[in-house]
Amino acid sequence: MTDSRPTTLDPELDERTDEDRPWIVVVWNDPINLMSYVSFVFQKLFGYSKEKANKLMMDVHLKGRAVVASGTREEAERDAHRLHAHGLWATLEHDE
Amino acid sequence: MARYVTRKRNGRFAVSFPPHVMALVTNLAGQLEGLLDDDRPELRRLFPTAYPDDPERDAGFQILARSELNDQRRGHVDRLQATADDDTLTEDDLTSWMLVVNDLRLVLGTALDVSEDDIEIDDDDPRAGGFETYHLLGAVLDEIVRALEGSLGR
Repeated sequence: MTDSRPTTLDPELDERTDEDRPWIVVVWNDPINLMSYVSFVFQKLFGYSKEKANKLMMDVHLKGRAVVASGTREEAERDAHRLHAHGLWATLEHDE
Repeated sequence: MARYVTRKRNGRFAVSFPPHVMALVTNLAGQLEGLLDDDRPELRRLFPTAYPDDPERDAGFQILARSELNDQRRGHVDRLQATADDDTLTEDDLTSWMLVVNDLRLVLGTALDVSEDDIEIDDDDPRAGGFETYHLLGAVLDEIVRALEGSLGR
């Protein structure tokens, strides 16, 4: 694995903008999607173990939402798009 | 219990849904394909909001997302229709079937306004036929998901 972030020699020059703060991808409960399907999609898209995917799926089901991924805005939008392509209801939030 | 979709040792999938089930799925898939560009409320679950608190940003996201999602959906419908009579599918074929069936459930479930509780409705309810189809699609989807789960991580 590699770290794609550029190396900063002088921290003072590292002007982190608001956009650099992590974005999170939230999946919301809905009455239609099958639980088995939701868990499968989490495993397939994010490589999560069945155990982790089931835990997230149950959080969505019982708590109404779960954070399933995070990253830059671009990464989070890509993940939300992939979830939308699988029919899941995903939104983006700026992490507090 | 005999399954309708089983993973074979060569990584392909044997499928044996009854012909009337496949006829229903391909028929509905064709109908869905014809509706994708329409602005209909029952399609709303196919294009979820990404930024619910920021309509401007969401509009920007949707412009690109909607056409991409529809292109992908048309590709999956075409693939389903091209392989509907096959008894052996690749993983990609079966994934297209899964995505189409899930889209059909989303649209039908939205049109029927289904709730979290698996409601029982009377046979003479005008929505009875729709619910029967909805539950059938759910059973088909569950079969496909069970089979595809066996391929994860391989």
